[in-house]
Amino acid sequence: MKILVIEDEEGLRESIEEYFSEAGNVCETASGYSAAITKINLYRYDCIVLDITLPGGNGMDVLKSLKENNHPDGVLIISAKNSLDDRLDGLNLGADDYLVKPFHLSELKARVTAIIRRKTFNGSNLLIFNEITIDLLAKEVKVGKMALKLTRKEYALLLYFIANKGKVVSKNAIAEHLWGDGIDMANNFDFIYSHIKNIRKKLMEAGCNDYIQAAYGMGYKFTDQ
Amino acid sequence: MKLLTKYNRVNLATAIIVLLVTGIIYYQAISWILTNQKDKDLKVEEQEVFEYVNLNHHLPQTFESNDQQITFTEVQANSIHRQFIDTTYFRKWNNDSRHKHRHKRIGEYEPGRGLVTAVTAGGKYYKVLIIESKVETEDLIQIIFVITIGVILLLLIVLLITNRLILSRLWQPFYSIMKELRLFNITDSKEIQKVDTSIDEFKELDRAVLAMAAKAKHDYKDLKTFTENAAHELLTPIAVINSKLDTLIQTENFNERQSKILNDLYSAVSRLNRLNQSLLLLVKIENRLHKDEEKIDMKALTEEQLVQFEEIFQDKGLKLSYSLDDKEIFANRNLAEILLSNLLGNAIRHNYSGGEITLSLTGEQLVIGNTGDDKPLAGEKIFTRFHKSSGSEGSGLGLTISRQICENFNFSLSYRFQQPFHIFTVKFK
Repeated sequence: MKILVIEDEEGLRESIEEYFSEAGNVCETASGYSAAITKINLYRYDCIVLDITLPGGNGMDVLKSLKENNHPDGVLIISAKNSLDDRLDGLNLGADDYLVKPFHLSELKARVTAIIRRKTFNGSNLLIFNEITIDLLAKEVKVGKMALKLTRKEYALLLYFIANKGKVVSKNAIAEHLWGDGIDMANNFDFIYSHIKNIRKKLMEAGCNDYIQAAYGMGYKFTDQ
Repeated sequence: MKLLTKYNRVNLATAIIVLLVTGIIYYQAISWILTNQKDKDLKVEEQEVFEYVNLNHHLPQTFESNDQQITFTEVQANSIHRQFIDTTYFRKWNNDSRHKHRHKRIGEYEPGRGLVTAVTAGGKYYKVLIIESKVETEDLIQIIFVITIGVILLLLIVLLITNRLILSRLWQPFYSIMKELRLFNITDSKEIQKVDTSIDEFKELDRAVLAMAAKAKHDYKDLKTFTENAAHELLTPIAVINSKLDTLIQTENFNERQSKILNDLYSAVSRLNRLNQSLLLLVKIENRLHKDEEKIDMKALTEEQLVQFEEIFQDKGLKLSYSLDDKEIFANRNLAEILLSNLLGNAIRHNYSGGEITLSLTGEQLVIGNTGDDKPLAGEKIFTRFHKSSGSEGSGLGLTISRQICENFNFSLSYRFQQPFHIFTVKFK
C-alpha cells in the first residue's frame, strides 16, 4: 500500500514513516502545506495521514482540494484538537477517520489498514491471514473451515493484531484500543494477559498456528515468522 | 444588625433624650410663667388690703372668695419678712357637694401659692397671708404637658415610619447590587446586571462591582486559556514520545531490565497523557463547549459501561450487584459516558480484590457504592482538583470532572460513607 504522511512535527513524522515502511509498503511524507498540495496533485495514495495544523496552511484545505479534484484517496485526520466540531468538520468534508493526538502507532496502523480495506472492498470483504479467514461484514472468524466463537473484544484484538502483524504492540496500546480511556485504573495488565491467553487457546484448538508471541513483557507480536 | 435598625436605635435614643430635656424645660417655663401670673394676682390683692387699711385704719373683713383666702394674725412688730411661698389651699366643699357625702370630710387640700406680708392697722402689727389655689394652673400645665407629649410621640412615630419607608427604598439599589454579587459566578457567562439608581454612592459602588466582576472574569478566562494552551502544547511532545516508544520497542532484543524501564516509561507517558486530556476536558466542560444534547437512555448506557468494565471486574474478583430502572436524560452523550466511566472506574480503582460494587439506577438518582478503605473520604474536599487518596494512580481530576459534568447537566453529585460502602449519588433534578 502507498501512504502519504502530512505532518509538520519531525519526530512524529519520522516515527510514522518508519512504522509504515515495510515490505510491500511505500510511505511518503510532506512537512508543510505546499509540499502536501504538490504531492497530492501528482500522485495517488491509498491513504493520506493528514495533520490539521500545518505551516503555510490548513490541513482542511488539503482535504478540500482532494475532494474538489475527485481524488479517491482515503484520508485519516490526526489532530491535537479533540473537539467534536473539528471531528465533524473533517468527516463532513470527506475524511474517512479522525484520530486524536497522541496515539499509538499501532492504533494508527489499524485505522489506516481499515480505511484501505474499505476502499479496496472487492465484494467479498474477506481478510485472510494464512489459515485465518475473517469475514469483516459478518464479523466471523474461521480457521480453515472451522468457525471460531470469539467475544467482541477478542475479535477486535485479532483484527488489531493482524493489522499490526510483525510489530510489537504494547500492552498500553492494546488496553487503549479495547477499553478506551476507561482503562486508567489498571496499572497491571493481567486482564490483557488473560484475553491473549483465551484467544490463543481458541485459535490453537481450531488447529491454527501460534502466531502470538510475548515481547519481553512489554507487549505482544503477531507474526508468522 | 441592619443599618436601618442601628440608625433607628440611635435616632430613637437621641430623640427621646432631647424630647425629655425639652419637656422638662418646657414644664419649668410654663409653671414659672403661671406662678408669676399668680404672684401678680397676689400682689394686687395685697395692694387692695393696704389701700383698705390706709383708708379705714382697720383690717378688712376676712372673707373667702372662690379661690382666695386671706388670714390676718397679730404678731410681734417687724417680725414678718415679705415673701411668696408654695403652700396648700384648703377648699371647703359645699354642703350639698357629692364629695362631702362620699368622703365624710368637709374639704380637701389643693396646691396653693401664698404671699406672706404685713400690715399695721390700728397700731397693731398683723401678719397677712394671702393664699390662692393653684389647682387650675396645675390643670393647665398638665393639659399643655399632655398635649405636648402627645405631639412629640406622634412626631416620633411619623418619623420612625417615614424613616423606615424612605430608608428601605433608599437602600434598594444596595440590596440589588448585593443580590447580583451573591449570584455572581466566575465560571458563568452571565454578566452582572447594572443597577439603576440616581444616588451617587450607589452608582459608584455599582461601577466598582461591575469593574471588579469584569476583571475577575477576564483574569479567570486568561487563566483558563493558559491552561488550555499549555495542555494543547503538551500534546505534540507527548505524541512524539509515544510514537518514539512504539518505534523503540520494534527494535529487537531487550533484556528484562530494559523492558521494565520501557514499561515504566509507557505507563508514565500514558498517565501524563490522561492528565493532560483531563485538563483539556475540564476546561471544555467549564466553557460549556458540549452543546449537542440528545436523549440518552441511561439504562442502556450504564449497561454498556458495565460491559466495558466486565474484564476488569473479573480480574479484580469484584462482586457486582445492580438494579437498573428505565431513565432518560437529555444531555451530551460523550459527557454522560465520561461521568459513568469515571464513577465506575473510581469504584473499581479504590476497591480491594474480592470487594463489592453496588449500582442502582432509578428515576431520581444513580447510586454507586463500593467497598474499599475502612475510613470515610475527606467529604467535599475529594471534589477539588488534584485531591488524591494516598496510593491512587488516578489523575486526581476524575471527581472534579464528574462534578463539573453534573453541574453542567444540572444534576448534583454527593458522597457519603455507609460502612462498608463509599457511596456516590447522582441526583437527577
